[in-house]
Amino acid sequence: MADAVLTLRPPLIEGDKSIAQVTHDVCAPMEARPSRLWWLALAASSSLLLLGVLAIGYQVAVGVGTWGLNRTIGWAFDITNFVFWIGIGHAGTLISAILFLFRQRWRTSVNRAAEAMTIFAVMCAGIFPIIHTGRPWFAYWLFPYPNTRGSLWVNFRSPLVWDCFAISTYFTVSAMFWFIGLLPDLATIRDRATAKWRRTLAGILSLGWNGSYRAWQRYEVVYLMLAGLGTPLVISVHTIVSWDFATSVLPGWHATLFPPYFVAGAIFSGMAMVLTLMIIARKLMRLEDYITLRHIDRMAKLVILTSCIVGLSYATEFFIALYSGSSYEQFVFLNRALGPMFWAYWTMVSCNLLIPQLLWFRRIRAYVPAVFVISIFVNIGMWFERFVIIVTSLSRDFLPSNWFHYAPTRIEIATLLGSFGLFFTLFLLFCRFVPVIAVAEVKGVLKYGRPHAEAIHE
Amino acid sequence: MSKRLFVGVFENEQDTLKAVRASRQRGFKIVDVYAPYAVHGLEEAMGLGPSRLPWIVFALGLLGAGLKVWFEFWTTAIDWPVNVGGKPFNSLPAFVPVTFEVMVLFAAVGAVLSFFFVCRLFPGKSTVLPVSRVTDDRFAIVLEETDSRFEASEVQRIFEGLYAVHLEEQIAAEVD
Amino acid sequence: MSSGNKHYWKALEEKEGGPEFLKDAARDLVERGPRHFGRRDFLKAAGFTVGTAFATGCRRAPLQKAIPLLSQPEEIVPGRCLFYASTCGGCSAGCGLLAKVRDGRPIKLEGNPEHPFSNGGLCATGQASILGLYDSQRLQHPLKQGNKISRDAADREILARLASIRSQHGAVRFLTGTITSPSVLAALEEVLKSLPDARHVVYDPVSNSALLDAYAQTHGTRLLPRFHFESAGVIASFDADFLGTWISPVEYTAAYRAGRNLEERRVSYHVQFEPRMSVTGTKADQRFAVAPGDFGVLLTHLTGLVAKRAGISLNWAEPDASPVPMSFLEGLAEQLWHARGRSLVLCGSQAIEEQVLANYLNHLLGSYGTTIDLERPSLQMQGNDQDLESLVRELHAGKVHALFVYGVNPAFDLPGGDELRGVLSRVPLLVSFSQRMDETAFLAGYVLPEPHFLESWNDTEAVNGVASISQPTVHPFGETRSLLETLSAWNGKSKSGYELLRESWRARVFPRQKKESNFDAFWDRSVHDGYTEVEAAVFKTKPFDLRAVQPILRSSAALDKFALVLYPTVSMLDGRNAYNPWLHELPDPISKVTWDNYASLSPAAAKKLGVNNGDVIHLDASRTGLRTLELPAYIQPGQHDRVVGVALGYGSKLSARFAKVGPQWIDALLSVGDNGLVGQNVASYLELKNGVLHYSSTQVTLSRTGKQRELACTQIHNTLTVPEHLRPGGSGARPIVQETTLAAFLKDPQSGVEDDEEKEDLWPTDHPYTGPRWGMVIDLNACTGCSSCVIACQIENNIPVVGRDEVRRNREMHWMRIDRYYSESDHGQVDVAHQPLMCQQCENAPCETVCPVLATVHSEDGLNQQVYNRCVGTRYCANNCPYKGRRFNWFNYSHDDQLQNLVLNPDVTVRSRGVMEKCTFCVQRIQEAKIEAKRRGEKVVDGAAQTACQQSCPAHAIYFGDLNDPSSRVSKMMQNPRRYRVLEELNVRPAVGYLTVVRNRDQESKEEQHG
Repeated sequence: MADAVLTLRPPLIEGDKSIAQVTHDVCAPMEARPSRLWWLALAASSSLLLLGVLAIGYQVAVGVGTWGLNRTIGWAFDITNFVFWIGIGHAGTLISAILFLFRQRWRTSVNRAAEAMTIFAVMCAGIFPIIHTGRPWFAYWLFPYPNTRGSLWVNFRSPLVWDCFAISTYFTVSAMFWFIGLLPDLATIRDRATAKWRRTLAGILSLGWNGSYRAWQRYEVVYLMLAGLGTPLVISVHTIVSWDFATSVLPGWHATLFPPYFVAGAIFSGMAMVLTLMIIARKLMRLEDYITLRHIDRMAKLVILTSCIVGLSYATEFFIALYSGSSYEQFVFLNRALGPMFWAYWTMVSCNLLIPQLLWFRRIRAYVPAVFVISIFVNIGMWFERFVIIVTSLSRDFLPSNWFHYAPTRIEIATLLGSFGLFFTLFLLFCRFVPVIAVAEVKGVLKYGRPHAEAIHE
Repeated sequence: MSKRLFVGVFENEQDTLKAVRASRQRGFKIVDVYAPYAVHGLEEAMGLGPSRLPWIVFALGLLGAGLKVWFEFWTTAIDWPVNVGGKPFNSLPAFVPVTFEVMVLFAAVGAVLSFFFVCRLFPGKSTVLPVSRVTDDRFAIVLEETDSRFEASEVQRIFEGLYAVHLEEQIAAEVD
Repeated sequence: MSSGNKHYWKALEEKEGGPEFLKDAARDLVERGPRHFGRRDFLKAAGFTVGTAFATGCRRAPLQKAIPLLSQPEEIVPGRCLFYASTCGGCSAGCGLLAKVRDGRPIKLEGNPEHPFSNGGLCATGQASILGLYDSQRLQHPLKQGNKISRDAADREILARLASIRSQHGAVRFLTGTITSPSVLAALEEVLKSLPDARHVVYDPVSNSALLDAYAQTHGTRLLPRFHFESAGVIASFDADFLGTWISPVEYTAAYRAGRNLEERRVSYHVQFEPRMSVTGTKADQRFAVAPGDFGVLLTHLTGLVAKRAGISLNWAEPDASPVPMSFLEGLAEQLWHARGRSLVLCGSQAIEEQVLANYLNHLLGSYGTTIDLERPSLQMQGNDQDLESLVRELHAGKVHALFVYGVNPAFDLPGGDELRGVLSRVPLLVSFSQRMDETAFLAGYVLPEPHFLESWNDTEAVNGVASISQPTVHPFGETRSLLETLSAWNGKSKSGYELLRESWRARVFPRQKKESNFDAFWDRSVHDGYTEVEAAVFKTKPFDLRAVQPILRSSAALDKFALVLYPTVSMLDGRNAYNPWLHELPDPISKVTWDNYASLSPAAAKKLGVNNGDVIHLDASRTGLRTLELPAYIQPGQHDRVVGVALGYGSKLSARFAKVGPQWIDALLSVGDNGLVGQNVASYLELKNGVLHYSSTQVTLSRTGKQRELACTQIHNTLTVPEHLRPGGSGARPIVQETTLAAFLKDPQSGVEDDEEKEDLWPTDHPYTGPRWGMVIDLNACTGCSSCVIACQIENNIPVVGRDEVRRNREMHWMRIDRYYSESDHGQVDVAHQPLMCQQCENAPCETVCPVLATVHSEDGLNQQVYNRCVGTRYCANNCPYKGRRFNWFNYSHDDQLQNLVLNPDVTVRSRGVMEKCTFCVQRIQEAKIEAKRRGEKVVDGAAQTACQQSCPAHAIYFGDLNDPSSRVSKMMQNPRRYRVLEELNVRPAVGYLTVVRNRDQESKEEQHG
């Protein structure tokens, strides 16, 4: 019987909490004044955000020429950042949906934050497809809307159109998923709120939730539905993103391996980012009891797994290229490893393949600072993976007369930093104003690994 | 019309479950149970039937997919056929990804909206709690005092036997 | 927006309240704010100029009488183009051209297909010279000491000065470039006669004086013979860049091409000896890098070998060792001798004795009367450096009282630098006829600006017996006056150029022909055709004078130093085009560098010095009185190891205007160097001595400066082979340019062509091409890389100039580019292949599939269309283009110069920022042809639709037409066994085919030589 098994395990939540305590632990920090640390973090991230806004403003006003692109290399930082952020955005849904379907109870204390991360990451990602166009004010033309220009539709054969649908669907569904999960907790906030504004606001948002079990039953069903839909969705989204490249004719882009390769990469980078954020959040919001070493340990294991999948993909790519007999393919890959941009390639390999292997050691997994540093490395490595795929392939393609090199401008770098600014600003605000832990769910798993509840009354 | 309700408040899910089972054995009419989180096994205890939401979602998903396939075919092959890269006007395989996304979108949005609809959840709805703290750490069973079978004293005995922390009778307008 | 302060140059007239025309035009155009120059504005401008055209038509006879080639002048239909036959004034070659006039405003120059020697081709500079007409810094009024002065006042004062000079027998000198106009020469003669001590001194900044002097020695007459490449079987050229810049490149290219016709199996054998890689060198079947000092010895050796075969024993002493393997020379001598009467020896050197040897070779080989015509010689490049030298001496001695400078810029293009400038400024009466405020005009007391050749009547006899007319196509913008009118005015008969020219032709040209008895008929036909063939003036030449022939036994090449070779580029020539942004941005046919001149070094020399492209090196000339020169290095394969080459014509005052050309933003760099000019002037390194202007006599030592100046180069990888360490196996050579040798070709015409079977298609094809289907074939064997197609495309399609910094960032906008690849050749030399590349209009276009908004789609006549106003600019199409034929508008490129905007082609949209663009196969021309055919009620005939690049190509290397019409030339060419497609294996099915390069060699082609 399930409970029996569970009693053998250590508890998911440390420090023998009562239900009321859980509510308190999560909601109290939101009602208290923010810490100085939080203010510092917010100041830093929002100034980055400002920098990004200025950079984008200038670029939109003057032209894409303010980036380091040229007639050979039409995409570089822009699409690299886009794919990078979309990738980050995958871990949230993975944790909340896939782990939910696999009944991984430990997800409960991290899924809320992970989902938030997803939404913010997708926001960051969404910026780039818009600003990378020559005429951003016409970006909406990518959607098929009824218009008075006679018969005028979009090209449903273009992966960019697929992207539009994929990204917007993904954003909508993750947002709904997040909100549904949030609903009971909003009710909790509402009912314990002392400040009037908080009560009214939570009152409106909680849609009059009152914990009626008839609602709880359907709630469970809907949650399951969304998880069920979210799982194929998350895979489809990065598959489609990878098709941006895979459907082209460019050596180094045109590879059937890309969908699984990209999805694995996305989960990999997402997990790393979740680790980064969780480790920050548990410090910032004093949630060590909820986000325990076991959580970190499990996510670290997922990182190793995906790291190995990604590594395998690198190897496969190379092998297939050499095996293909196409001199263009062969050249592109040798050029990645040994060409003028070899440094980018080897940064990618060492950050994504070599460094994560440290996580095989339990001692390292148990040492939070180490895990934190490794997760940072993985983030860097995954950014470079996209950079390598996009830029090295473009910079030396079929006709040698077209070969050229690429260097980013100040504007591009500022834009990248700006996207990080946006991401962390949103995340910090989230930490302040929304329960970072899914209170209702945690209450549900409190009893796991505890002596049976009757004991209380003896 | 108004009802006389009997509310029992409990501290943890096991007691609540037991109380619910007991009440049903004795054939008391359980109006509803309130809990701070989804207590597993409660639906059997209360004897609620399975939800029909999955079917709605399935139907909506099909609808979305169907509409999208038709739309893509209509725009590229009928309304505005143009030669794009030598591909045929109706490039069905290229339509698959978007179709899938739209299917998911319809299904997901449909699921959420219909959930709100059947649970009567909407912004600005005035919340009615049987007793306070049911969204924090209290579990409440609401029985309806209807026919002769209902005996407050007995209910009281059973519930107190199950460590009910608080019992009360309410006269309430429709509570759902 | 930073583009707000963008200017190609500041319009002087704005400051000085310039001519009404400008103001009106500007007012009309500026209203809607400077940057948005929409269709409506265009029509306004057009309307305005049409007005001018009519108005002037009434006022002045000439425009009334001008007879367009295609239709009657009365019916000037707005929106329809008229073509006026005229003569190119770009250089002294005098090619025939058709000026395309739209709404009273010339918008493009094209070669005149019927012209006897230019045969429809027109070089890059010739075509680009139309921009000079709309140059807002062109002088519009006579100036005195830099201030405006009325024409009559100027005349009065100058004539008064001349009168006083005449009275005191002062020396008057006319210093001009080659004048090919008989009428002007006659008028000038009259002026000279009226003065006691007056002389006409002719020099060409890019001089061929030695060639003419040699003929004076060997044939007793100083003349420039006419070379007949078409009938030459073996061509041995000693540093004569006859396909690039030598004398009359368009004429020679057409003839050379005619002599290399693979379809008729008539292929000349061309050997080139030259110190640096020239356009001609790239086409040679065998090419040798020879130091300038070694040519004498080389010629002596060859002469000896040929003489032996002629059975003549010249008992000459043993010369130094030949710089070229004797075995090869033996072979060459054999070939030449075997092709007696069909062989041609050319010498571009400025050493008379070398020229004499070349003449002797031609004499031995019986070239005179067959491949070289002395009876009907060319009248181009008549410069006489001896006269020039003596004039300079006179000037230094202060003996010249009045100097009139026309068509040249001595203060810029002659050696002597500041010293000469000082001397010139001390001439009591210095008058310049320059169109612009160039270095000489700057010193001149009076400037009487010459009108643009599209504004005035003139005539040309560039080749004895071919007289051509240039007629105005628009009323002069300012108060300018042609030299003909000016001189006649000074001769006391001030008439319109039109009347003067008619008189002159009645007197001089009409009598030389029999066809027409009535002068008016003759005149009308000549004006209509733009030229007329008349009896050649008699040139008496003496029999070959053997006494002139002397062997050159000793090499003068210094072993410790570098020979500085100064050469003209196809764009700048002698610097006359320094005002022209198009030509500054035109990549050099060989180095592909734009917006700069540089010091080219052979790879070995660069290695020895330890310099790379862009490292600034220091050139230290042994001669005194030379300012030291620092230039960025450029590594040039195929150049001699002891030669450093630098282009002439750069560093002109006229290029100062380009500082801020192109988009201006936070990271933008200036287009000029530290001197505020484009490139540096190296004229002071020329040597004017012993009656010859020397271009390669200066010896320099080179040293690194440690400074850097990145060159704006449009191609940075120069071979078709991938680097050694990046190829898993095989040669690593890519079959982009496919080539073979003549021997192999004769065995199997398809040799060298990669097999190209049609690939299976995954999709069912929904798109049968029922109507016409446009396609193109480019003969790589004919293409010389001269780049006139690039300029043609730029003018036809309103392609913006983006400036040095943007080119450096690999963002040039040319729709048509010419890729240039080097490969190893025999004798350790290099082969070069040129490959014109534009959008390949693929049938299965990868760019179309990926465009999200259907901004690029396929038309039912097979065109890959780009819809500018639908494009959002994702650049996905460009990424997915295997040929990278697409160009993106990174910024709003400035169209602020309202006068210059008048050159824009109304049929082509001016693209805005953020949209993709590319070659359209000149869809506007196709449409015009279709409409015309429709009007006539017939289908489009082959050749009715011509692309701009095809039309201008002097080598006729481009075929264009309907692939669905089996009888069209292009379909026939598609069937040519030499035809292949680039990247066939991708199955994108390009509509552009290429014909293999076939080098006239014996040995079997090494497969894919390129590497």
